[in-house]
Amino acid sequence: MSTVDESYVRHWSRDVLGAWNRFWFTPADPATLSLIRILAGAMLFYTHLIWSLDLEAFFGPDGWFSISFVRMYQAGGYGWSYFWWLTSPAAMWTAHILALIVFAMFTLGLFSRTTAVLAFIITCSYVGRAPGALFGLDQINRLLAMYLMLGPCGAAYSLDRLWAKRRAGGQLPQAPPSVAANVAIRLIQIHMCIIYFFAAVGKLNGTAWWTGTAMWLAFANYEYQSVDMTWTAHWPLLLNLMTHVTVFWELTYWALIWPRLSRPVMLLLAVPLHMGIAICLGMVTFGLVMLFGNLAFVPPSFVRASIGRLTGKQGRGAEQALSSAAAGATIRRGALSAAGPRRKRH
Amino acid sequence: MSEPTYPRPAIRALVSVLVALHVFAVFLGPFALPPSSDLAAGSFRLFQPYVQGAFLDTGYRFFAPEPGPSHLVRYELIGPDDKPIVRTFPDRNLDRPRLLYHRHFMLSEFLNTTREMSERRGNREILDALARSYARHLAKRYDAKEVTLYLQQHELPFIRDVQQGMLLTDPSLYAADPNEKEIKFGPYRGDELRRDEP
Repeated sequence: MSTVDESYVRHWSRDVLGAWNRFWFTPADPATLSLIRILAGAMLFYTHLIWSLDLEAFFGPDGWFSISFVRMYQAGGYGWSYFWWLTSPAAMWTAHILALIVFAMFTLGLFSRTTAVLAFIITCSYVGRAPGALFGLDQINRLLAMYLMLGPCGAAYSLDRLWAKRRAGGQLPQAPPSVAANVAIRLIQIHMCIIYFFAAVGKLNGTAWWTGTAMWLAFANYEYQSVDMTWTAHWPLLLNLMTHVTVFWELTYWALIWPRLSRPVMLLLAVPLHMGIAICLGMVTFGLVMLFGNLAFVPPSFVRASIGRLTGKQGRGAEQALSSAAAGATIRRGALSAAGPRRKRH
Repeated sequence: MSEPTYPRPAIRALVSVLVALHVFAVFLGPFALPPSSDLAAGSFRLFQPYVQGAFLDTGYRFFAPEPGPSHLVRYELIGPDDKPIVRTFPDRNLDRPRLLYHRHFMLSEFLNTTREMSERRGNREILDALARSYARHLAKRYDAKEVTLYLQQHELPFIRDVQQGMLLTDPSLYAADPNEKEIKFGPYRGDELRRDEP
């Protein structure tokens, strides 16, 4: 190998390593992660509150899924659930009420690090016991619970923070940037990319996604319908457009969500797509939780400024952050640091 | 521009290995779902404890390959007073709020996907176990003497039919060909179901 080649390889390796370090190990403001905690926690609480309406039918030994059936269905697998040990109604209800308390505490940010771990264990246990009653909502609930457990999700907008501030005599500096917060956000971002990639690739096998009629098939499904969209039968080109935009958006998400120029467009498109599913196809919970996952791509400075505006606690710094985040100015160096925090200067 | 303060190299190396393995497992979940290559299936077996233990073995194939017809389960019971009870799940009028309705919708869809899987494998064991599990639940819930389930397909109308005034609930979409659109499970005797192990 010539000296020129060696030099190229050495530089390339150094660049890759530098990009990897910036991507994963740049400390990040935990504001975005904390906002996701509030929203995902509320969704976990609501999801499990609804199980209460027929708890024993879904999780009890005399429910839809007998223990012997689930054992057979999961044979050779590694799924798990604490419901296998909770077979009496009293035990089941006690655990369920405790679970709801944990989710409420998690949402409010009380003992966040502990309740985050418990929230993940609880979420998995419900999923592991009722395999045939699940849909996309449960997948994203579990995903968010998993990653929120890894980072300091209660470092901002939490009772933990409020309590710490009170103990500090009312003055407490903003939560410091954290590598764990960055890793958690990065994992949510990558997981969302993988989800949309496979959602799109799966659609490419279906003729209706190519002929532009797939949206009609979704709207024409009475069991999903929550808003009558059959008027679109008279607007076939509109159906074609919605179908194609859906596929192209999902197919390109993993690439276009990173550059600062295309990120706002991709995030804005996520809103009508997921709210359309929420409102027209009767899956408000699923539509919302997908948007919560997309929040991982919103810079913390933008989150702080927006919440500052909403709560009326916005100072000049927040105003500046809002404008700069909106302009993409917080993104310092190309795609890999796109969601990253401000760099520390030595 | 100066570099930010990174963790120690050893910590970075450890975390890098862990996140790389985790991201690979996240990718494998949908990638190795059938139909899949030998390479994907083999990799999945290697990561199976982690992928399944963390419940990452999901396809994310929402409305793929394309949105299809939905499925309903009609159940006919003979109650303790010998009176018949006929109901369907999911039921838009009874199952509220919407999330509870969707859970019941997934129950009927799960029976259908299990049926499709059983047909592909040429083995009905798991399908029969699921249908019996549903029947057992209904027998206990209603103290029924007999339970019969019917898996029903609700076809999607063509655009041109709806343009000409067809409703999504048109009876022809449910029962144009009963042999293909309705699959019977049972009848199961209530006393036998109640003796089944949980």
